[in-house]
Amino acid sequence: MKLRIYITALCIAFLIACSSDNATDVVDDSQIEVGDLKINFTNTVGDEPLNLNTQTYVKNGGETYKVNELKYIISNIVLTDTEGNQFVYPQADSYFLINEEVAQSKTITLDSIDANNYTSITFGFGVDQTNYPLNGVDNFVPEAEESEMLWSWSAGYKFLKFEGTYSTDEITDQPFLYHIGSHGQNLDNYREISLNFMQPLALSASNTPELNIGFDVQKIFNSDFQLLLSDKDDIQIDPVNAPKIVDNITNAFEIILN
Amino acid sequence: MKYSVFILLIIFLSACQNEGLDESYQNLNDENSDNENIFLDLELPSNFPEPTYEIENNRPTQAGFELGKKLFYDGKLSSTGVISCGFCHIQDFAFTHHTHVVSHGVNGALGTRNAPSLQNMIFMEDFNWDGSVSHLDAQPIVPITTEFEMNESITNVLTKLQNDEEYVQLFNAAFENDTIDTQNMLRAISQFVMMMVSADSKYDKVVRNEGSHFNEMEEAGKAVFDQKCAGCHSGSLFTDQSYRNNGLPIDPQYDDEGRMRVTGEEADKYKFKVPSLRNIAVTFPYMHDGRYQTLRDVLDHYDSGVVQTQNLDSVFIQENGQLGIPLTEIEKDEIIAYLNTLTDDNFLLDDRFSEF
Repeated sequence: MKLRIYITALCIAFLIACSSDNATDVVDDSQIEVGDLKINFTNTVGDEPLNLNTQTYVKNGGETYKVNELKYIISNIVLTDTEGNQFVYPQADSYFLINEEVAQSKTITLDSIDANNYTSITFGFGVDQTNYPLNGVDNFVPEAEESEMLWSWSAGYKFLKFEGTYSTDEITDQPFLYHIGSHGQNLDNYREISLNFMQPLALSASNTPELNIGFDVQKIFNSDFQLLLSDKDDIQIDPVNAPKIVDNITNAFEIILN
Repeated sequence: MKYSVFILLIIFLSACQNEGLDESYQNLNDENSDNENIFLDLELPSNFPEPTYEIENNRPTQAGFELGKKLFYDGKLSSTGVISCGFCHIQDFAFTHHTHVVSHGVNGALGTRNAPSLQNMIFMEDFNWDGSVSHLDAQPIVPITTEFEMNESITNVLTKLQNDEEYVQLFNAAFENDTIDTQNMLRAISQFVMMMVSADSKYDKVVRNEGSHFNEMEEAGKAVFDQKCAGCHSGSLFTDQSYRNNGLPIDPQYDDEGRMRVTGEEADKYKFKVPSLRNIAVTFPYMHDGRYQTLRDVLDHYDSGVVQTQNLDSVFIQENGQLGIPLTEIEKDEIIAYLNTLTDDNFLLDDRFSEF
């Protein structure tokens, strides 16, 4: 009798083992509720929205500056829910170019995210060098190239393109230029940024939450490190200053409303 | 009773297993019949190190290779429609721009560096004379988009390919997602370049004990080489893949800062990648700027032409303070004889890679 139970159990076990293979094939994504998330990036100077070309701002060290161009790359978006579980947005679709000049670039919409209550977001500033050019990252090349966010001589991405003019007591309207990316395999200037939401975001098929993230331009110059344009106004492949700039930038993002 | 349990077990186990086998068999079959995607046999030489390229992520197929080859030899990748990759990388000369000091691009534009040879690329840590690119898949972006090379944008290249029915079909055959995009284009070129393994020279046949032997001159050359050159040109790739300043007088026309462009480090100024010496007899002119026409010129430089510039590599500073690596005229002859054993005619004449 015991043996018969045992056989029956075995049969069931094997049947399940066999059929579960098929079952995974039939499960389709539509059974999992998914929704969208909208993220608006607002570039600011302090608490004020950034105005390109026209407005003069005061920065650390008594220098003043105007911004003509501000572009940066956001990547590898991960959302964390109230339980601490992570939703990793597909990497190949996770590269975004934020360009102050182009309004629609400042709003990104992520789709097919598992419905859930999320409490924080993690994203990359720039392109993760360990990933480049794998996992579909190179499909971002055309967009980056058109926006001059690619160094053609190295096929490497510029994570930040920040240009304008500055004045000090001695000089007036001198151009400045920060082009920051990783230096081949030599120096990784990619950074990850995590921000906690003010309140959990309830994301569902019927509810597309909006997240507003501010980027304070002032902090590029002045946060963990203080940079003077009069010390160096052209920073590109600079192993000393480029890491300082991206470290400062990790403090430049904040949730302004959600 | 026990026996029947056993039979039952076998039945169920095989039921599961058969299903699995059938599926995988069908998949393979589908892949081959629908896409003509037959995986190519990429044989790795026994005397080589492990490849740096993750072959499993982009296994070369017949269709992918053929597409990559077409792209490699297609002037469409340039702004003028006539400069292909193969224009500067000519197979007969180990894919270098034979006799050209620096490479020529669109409309006769001149570059600043000598086109490096293409071979054994899947074993390389990074690419170009200054190591500016760290992955083979990304490498074609540099010549395609550089003004004085192919002077084209990736966006334009993709548009041209998408409007070409033949490419549409080739991409469909080569890639499961049937898409002409940057990734697929770069992967196809990599599949072509990946197969360029040069490991069938006399040298290889000697070290693999395949019945070849060095003659006296070559043997002597090997001894001198191992003592005086193999510190940098090491291993079966004949490069340690490091960056060094080898004491060339700075050419004011280019004032090329070398590796420093990539790292921004003063300590890397004037350093260039130690090149592989495979097929070196056919890849003249030599050095990053193609300044030397013959191997003799190169050896003369190391013997008596090295000058003190910023970051001169310590191997060129002798104990007595003199610069260079002293070589007798006989030693130079011997080294050249040895280097000639690195010429791999089977590679240089391999039909798989030839344009026509």
